Amino acid sequence: MSETKQQKLRSKKGHERRINGTIYTVLTIMSIVWLVPFVFLVLQSFRSYQLEKGGMVDYLIPKHFSLDNYAFLFEGSNFFSWCGKALLIALIIACLSSLLVVVAGKWLDRRDTVKRAERACALGACLVVGYVALALLAGAMHGFALAGNLVHALIGLALFILAGAIIARVYLKQDSKLLRSIPGYVVEDKYEGVKKLFAMAAEFLAVTLIVQCILCPMTTSQYLKWYGNTLTIALFTSVIQTVIVLSVSYALSRLRFKGRKLIMNVVLVLGLFPGFLTMITLYFLLKQMGLTQAGSVPGLILIYCASSGMGYYISKGFFDTIPKSLDESARIDGATRFQVFLKIIMPLAKPIVIYTILMAFMAPWGDYVFASYVAFGHQNGYNVAVGLYNWVNTNDYQNYFTRFCAGGVLVAVPITALFLALQKYYVEGVTGGAVKG
Amino acid sequence: MVDLDYLKMSKPQKFLHNLAGFFKALPGRIGGGFVNLGRRIAGFFKGLGLSIADLVTTFREGDWKTRLSYLVMGSGSMARGQWGRGLLFFLFQTVFNLYMVNFGVAYLSKLNTLGVVETYKEGRRTVYGDNSFLILLYGVLTLFFILAFIYTWRVNIKQNKISQQILKSGKKLKSTKEDLQSLMDSQFHKTLLALPTLGVFVFTILPIFFMILVAFTNFDYNHQPPSKLFTWVGFENFKTLLSSGSASYGDTFRQVLFWTLVWAFFATFLNYFLGMFVAIMINKKGIKLKKMWRTILVMTIAIPQFVSLLYVSKMFAADGLINTYLMKWHWISQPIPFWTNPGWARFTIILINIWIGIPYLMLIATGILMNIPADLYESARIDGANAMQMYGKITLPYMLFVTGPYLLTSFTGNINNFNVIFLLSQGKPMGLSGNAGYTDLLITWLYRMTVSDTNYKIAAVIGIMVFVVLAVINLVVYNLIPSVKNEEDFQ
Amino acid sequence: MKKLLTLVLAVALVLTMSCAAFAEGYNGDLKIWVAEAAVDFTVEQVEAFKAANPEYADMNVTVEPVGEGDAASKVITDVEAAADIFGFAQDQLARMVAAGALIDVEPENAAAVAAENDAGSVAAVTLGDTMYAYPMTSDNGYFLYYDKSVVTDPSSLEQVLADCEAAGKSFYMEINSGWYQTAFFFGAGCTLTYDVDDEGNINACNADYASENGLKALKSMITLAKSPAFVNGSSVSNATNAAAIVDGTWDAVAAQEMFGENYAAAKLPTVDGYQLSGFGGFKMLGIKPQTDDAKLAACDALAAYLTSEEVQLARYEALGWGPSNLNAQKSEAVQADIALSALAEQLAFTIPQGQYPGDYWALATGLGDRIIGKEFDDADDDTLMGVLNEFQETCISYAG
Repeated sequence: MSETKQQKLRSKKGHERRINGTIYTVLTIMSIVWLVPFVFLVLQSFRSYQLEKGGMVDYLIPKHFSLDNYAFLFEGSNFFSWCGKALLIALIIACLSSLLVVVAGKWLDRRDTVKRAERACALGACLVVGYVALALLAGAMHGFALAGNLVHALIGLALFILAGAIIARVYLKQDSKLLRSIPGYVVEDKYEGVKKLFAMAAEFLAVTLIVQCILCPMTTSQYLKWYGNTLTIALFTSVIQTVIVLSVSYALSRLRFKGRKLIMNVVLVLGLFPGFLTMITLYFLLKQMGLTQAGSVPGLILIYCASSGMGYYISKGFFDTIPKSLDESARIDGATRFQVFLKIIMPLAKPIVIYTILMAFMAPWGDYVFASYVAFGHQNGYNVAVGLYNWVNTNDYQNYFTRFCAGGVLVAVPITALFLALQKYYVEGVTGGAVKG
Repeated sequence: MVDLDYLKMSKPQKFLHNLAGFFKALPGRIGGGFVNLGRRIAGFFKGLGLSIADLVTTFREGDWKTRLSYLVMGSGSMARGQWGRGLLFFLFQTVFNLYMVNFGVAYLSKLNTLGVVETYKEGRRTVYGDNSFLILLYGVLTLFFILAFIYTWRVNIKQNKISQQILKSGKKLKSTKEDLQSLMDSQFHKTLLALPTLGVFVFTILPIFFMILVAFTNFDYNHQPPSKLFTWVGFENFKTLLSSGSASYGDTFRQVLFWTLVWAFFATFLNYFLGMFVAIMINKKGIKLKKMWRTILVMTIAIPQFVSLLYVSKMFAADGLINTYLMKWHWISQPIPFWTNPGWARFTIILINIWIGIPYLMLIATGILMNIPADLYESARIDGANAMQMYGKITLPYMLFVTGPYLLTSFTGNINNFNVIFLLSQGKPMGLSGNAGYTDLLITWLYRMTVSDTNYKIAAVIGIMVFVVLAVINLVVYNLIPSVKNEEDFQ
Repeated sequence: MKKLLTLVLAVALVLTMSCAAFAEGYNGDLKIWVAEAAVDFTVEQVEAFKAANPEYADMNVTVEPVGEGDAASKVITDVEAAADIFGFAQDQLARMVAAGALIDVEPENAAAVAAENDAGSVAAVTLGDTMYAYPMTSDNGYFLYYDKSVVTDPSSLEQVLADCEAAGKSFYMEINSGWYQTAFFFGAGCTLTYDVDDEGNINACNADYASENGLKALKSMITLAKSPAFVNGSSVSNATNAAAIVDGTWDAVAAQEMFGENYAAAKLPTVDGYQLSGFGGFKMLGIKPQTDDAKLAACDALAAYLTSEEVQLARYEALGWGPSNLNAQKSEAVQADIALSALAEQLAFTIPQGQYPGDYWALATGLGDRIIGKEFDDADDDTLMGVLNEFQETCISYAG
């Protein structure tokens, strides 16, 4: 008896092993299929368009590996020299600010209420002054030393002072509140917020700096110009669109007002019209505002953001799952709806905020249709998709295939890295959206 | 009992039953719809009448402040000390008046003809006449503006009435500061929705309305503003698109619509089942490196489609890697016509779309599979069910129920899936009348009509037809699949 | 105060007067669209133009790369935002005139253009009695590039194919293009032309594809597509294993690189006993309607300059684009060019490309795709005749 049982068990185990083996085989084959085009893409991007052919050939592995295609993309710009410097400055700022934040955190963690508040105040002022000084320095350095151009220097200065000012304001406000609530509760959480804010600000500064460098008018490299355009569009779109989408989905999910159902139904109906139907109208609307051709970057930001409120479904679904009792108890404590939104719901909504930012950031990289229509032949107004699409699908560009590959790789690598890093939030958003509809 | 019979039926029978029921009830529903519509229209006019009556009584019973507001918006509010509101109303009226005098009236008056002054030449210099496009655009904008004005005017008067009542009852009116505060609290939705609504209005509703009107004009390459005028032609364009004949696009429209539906069906359901299958494999107990498999598959979502799809389309080209290697290895003597033979092109597109589409479904299915209560499987296993049975009895029904709404949106999305077709085949191979190709979806056809053919009138009609198709599909599905409806009520 | 104002006004008046005295020139913005490859060349020539014409020295000219196919659609979509001067191919002419996107050539220039350029190109820029554009090149035709070491006799397609097959190499021709397809149909003796009125509207179609000749041409194509050496394509940069390719002068440099020492070019071969024909094509510069006389004059002058004999020659030297100017064509450099002489040889058999509706190209591509897709490999004459009939009917339906 026991032997047959063992045999059965063994055969079951064997069966299981066989199934798992099959699954592994299938998954391996799939993985190969999934990755092969990308490997090919990278390989072909190393085929020199000068030594070999830049067009289609009947072999995969380049005969001479070279960086010619990449060099072509950066041709005409001293990109590496000033991008390097700018990156260095950004890094210094980020390091210094992180250091300050860490020190500040340590300091604040000492439990000594009244004194701590004073110190916090002093530290805050210190941080603000430090930031502004650094900003001035960086702006000036960037502007004069790197661009050698007064307008650019001024823009740099303005941006950094603005950033410094915003940080100062937010910090001081936080601080005065801190003073008022000294014997209060959960002080540490507030510090946490401040720390995070500073870290975020440092990142923002760094990114702005980099973008500015890329947008530097010194470059004659078309590709970099397109890349800069796309990056600018993506950054602005991700911020503005996230604000809009969150506002709309919050209002529709948690507030009750006259016309709510009507708005949802109208959006549903509007969503059934194909997007490209209105292309020509949008073009002329933008043209009346002067936002086509040379103004295509702000124009595209406007287009991407204006109607983004209609894509509220997924984040509304998320807000729907946050228990209503949270709002109600806060309302009883005297919080306004705005405060509830900002202080209670937003902190809980981090996954969906990140999901929305990610989606809004990634979308402009792939838009060919509107981008080419709005740029209307003005090459400096293209985004990467338009430029690269022309390289591979227009007859004027013979032998540009490998350069398309190189350009594609440079787009795909950072985007893919970003996506994979934030994959968790994407999965959350997508599955949540699919389940809740 | 009917209900009992229904319960005894198997799934497909139930579906058929529902379907039959739906179509049986259809005439009644449509009839009901019309009755409803009639009632609504009647209600609208009734409301309008009441509203006018209310205006009259308000005027009769109002004090001078209220009466002045009929003429000068916001004056009543200002006179009562509500400066903020009053100024806003007043400002709106001023802007409206200025707009109408300087701009609106001129365009509105030309709306019926869309302009009559032709472009002419003075010597060799061109003097442009009326611009039909701008007349139509600004005409529509003006109409919208007038509606908004009437609505605001009505609100302005209503507020006067309410203020008067509040003052009569001895209470105080809200100050400007309180008004502003309420925008952060009881009226918070207005703050949140103001900008998004404006954006949708100007960049979605206005353009859609405009394009619907274009469908009734002869706006095309031969009537191209600013050099040429276009004008109203009634249902001419609908006839061109829907009727068959040498100068019409009826046959092309049917072919393109058919392929659009076939494509959407395969793109949705093939990916759905394959994606679910992959998810089940990866999530099976005992499979290692789950995260790695997932990450590899997700690569096709991460990499921008214009890079991956353009590259793949070149891989499958006649001189692309696949064909050249197959020929080198002497497996084929002729390149496989991936993009030049209609059948091959359609097949290749669906195939490549699997590559793009499976990962989404894999992720979604993974999320849902985790949510299926484990004890369901446990009890099934005790009952001696095998893997296939468990799949058929538990996994599939659960998935279908939960993802019902997703399937609908996905089907809709695939009908409008521009990127895959445009980046892979651009609608080629060509060969249908109306400059359409065998892999064109309605939306890519619309795109070509707009961008390369500048045949806006037909593009507008195609757009409307897409809307009609989607609306019909959505209505049918909403009525057939209960989970869609229930999920919509999810609150 | 009043005095001051008067003074200011007086000065302003004098200034305007003096400006008016120089009003001959133009110093505003002017935009040019040309193909990517020609951007640098055009910028150079514009500078030369400014140097030669001081009254235009302060003009701000921008040159942007917009392909010839794209330019027409863009100019039609939004004339105001489009370039003032743009390059395009003659197949777009009627469409642009119909959309009111082109202004006729200044009468004085028109006479000169007609006298100095070859007859085909002059016909290509003229609709009815009006000349609408400045001919720039006369090289938009196709002929045969081949590898001397493989192809023994380029005058017969059968031989070319046999040689390619023997060497395991390919013969490239894009027979799913309405442009290359006509090599067979016109060669076999068919016609397909459209009549266009002064307004640019197509009002009649002359076609006889559904005939014995048409059948002959279609069968030749089917036979060609059956050959294992045949590959559909017309771009050297995408030709992976070519020994012969039907292509145009724009690929001359690439072809020379590809074939190296064995580079050779010839007129198109004969097939089934008839000489392959085809379109002769031209590129031209057009000017969009202008609302400002001074700017229009600047455009006229600049366009005339950019299509003059010297610039056409310079363009040939810089880009290899064959000139339409008769004197330039006679220059030694052009005469010695292998590709251009092959084209000139072929020119005797081509038909200057007139105006065709946009739908025609799609229709032709559809027919070509069916041939390549092996749909007709076993079809009998009646079936093929049916296909041709349908094709011809559809072509005719586009007119009017």
